Amino acid sequence: MAGIRDLGVGIGWRSEIDLTVERLPGVDFVEVVAENLHIGHLPESVTLLLERGVPVLPHAVSLSLGSADQVDLRRVEHLGAVAEAVGAPMVSDHVCFVRAGGLDSGHLMPVPRTRDALDVLVANVRLAQRNLPVPLALENVAALLEWPDGELSEGQFLAELVERTDCWLLVDVANLYANARNIGTDPQRFLDEIPLERLAYVHVAGGEQHGDIYHDTHAHAVLPEVLEVLDELCSRVAPPGVLLERDDNYPSDTEIAGELAAIRAVVDKHRD
Amino acid sequence: MATSTTARGTRLPPEQIGYLVAGPGRAAETALARLLDADLVRVSRDGLVSAVHQTELGASTAVETVILVNLRNTIRFDAVVRNAAKSAEMRTLHQQLRARRLTRNPRPRLAAWWVFLAIGGVLSLAAFLEPWTLFGAVGFLGVAYWTYGAKPLTRAGRAALKDVTASDRVLAVALEGFRGRIGNQSAGELFGLPQSVVKMLPRKKKRKARATSAAGCGSGCGSSSCGGSSCSSGSSSSCSGGGSSCGGGGGGGD
Repeated sequence: MAGIRDLGVGIGWRSEIDLTVERLPGVDFVEVVAENLHIGHLPESVTLLLERGVPVLPHAVSLSLGSADQVDLRRVEHLGAVAEAVGAPMVSDHVCFVRAGGLDSGHLMPVPRTRDALDVLVANVRLAQRNLPVPLALENVAALLEWPDGELSEGQFLAELVERTDCWLLVDVANLYANARNIGTDPQRFLDEIPLERLAYVHVAGGEQHGDIYHDTHAHAVLPEVLEVLDELCSRVAPPGVLLERDDNYPSDTEIAGELAAIRAVVDKHRD
Repeated sequence: MATSTTARGTRLPPEQIGYLVAGPGRAAETALARLLDADLVRVSRDGLVSAVHQTELGASTAVETVILVNLRNTIRFDAVVRNAAKSAEMRTLHQQLRARRLTRNPRPRLAAWWVFLAIGGVLSLAAFLEPWTLFGAVGFLGVAYWTYGAKPLTRAGRAALKDVTASDRVLAVALEGFRGRIGNQSAGELFGLPQSVVKMLPRKKKRKARATSAAGCGSGCGSSSCGGSSCSSGSSSSCSGGGSSCGGGGGGGD
């Protein structure tokens, strides 16, 4: 896919830290939450970044591609419109569902890893792809539970999804780490099983341990263990891009710059 | 750029300098500037201010502490200044400055103060012929003195500002306010703040007689006499604030 190679190291653009993102040295690309943007009224900061030539990738959270209900095409159209507005080479969402039976979960819920659920997901992804102007990448989510009667490992599930839809993968190593902590996912096996040649880019984020549960908060510092998962991934493939996601409790500019530098160090280590 | 809270060349910290220059609003702007300088708060392009940490750690004054406490939720830039200017901590700061005789209660000047002076003068002359008019002369001269008014800054207060310069960006805000000019840019720009954010703060109107005074006293206190400042560009500029004497008045953020 032309246009997504060598994205570099980026950061999730959020309105609360827009000036920070603009000023940070070495931000090669940014990601915006598509649902937060309005066509025809892009934030001044996003426009400024586009003028500087910084790629802006829309990231959706509401397509609910894993829902048994058919995907809402208005949401797909909005995502596509945002992609065109920012000239994005690709868009992304999650392998999850966020609504069912008319109710919103308010959370990215994991999809049962069954063949039936995969069929539903594949149908929704294909429908979304037909209505999107650019390629779609799908991200693994952090789960606090595993649905019973799973037939596939997470890696196998994603590999088959890629094979059947030709979608791209957005691997969140923080989610992978969270799943390793909470539900025993083996990151090595996950990375062995997914088609790394279809890797679009990587998410890195922070979290916090509460009792027995590791919470993928995106509001705390990136743990060294998460960077180790990134390191493992980079030892297998050179990711086109790696992006720091922070959604709340934003640290100082200095700390954010430090996290970006740490990510870049891991990426560069394998490029040397 | 981290800045010492104690201004170089003076014993007053920037927040107090800000108060003496232009009142509680300017002191609040200065406290916010110090927090920005220390990377303890951030401002977004739409003018929302948030605390970097959800604690008051790093605050060096009571006013800074109250700003950080209020910033556990994001607040508009102008509201941060306005709330801090009206806080109990700011009143305490004012009392401290008064206790040190750097400020006093200002008295507005009555337009007709000179009439009392003139009558007092005439009665004084008349006292050479009719000594009893001396009592009236003293009374009218006293009224003239009272109605002449008093600026909020005492002589000691003016002396404290005498050699203060905008040697760093926090002091630049103390002397000029975020909207004030340092060379060819606003003090707010020294913090990377967009004009749309800086302009959330009201620009204080200057008296006509003062309007031609040197640039750099943008958000003065209305009764300012900000002449004489000479600013050069850049964050390391030296912008004389020695001529400012508009303390105690309304806040820049009100």
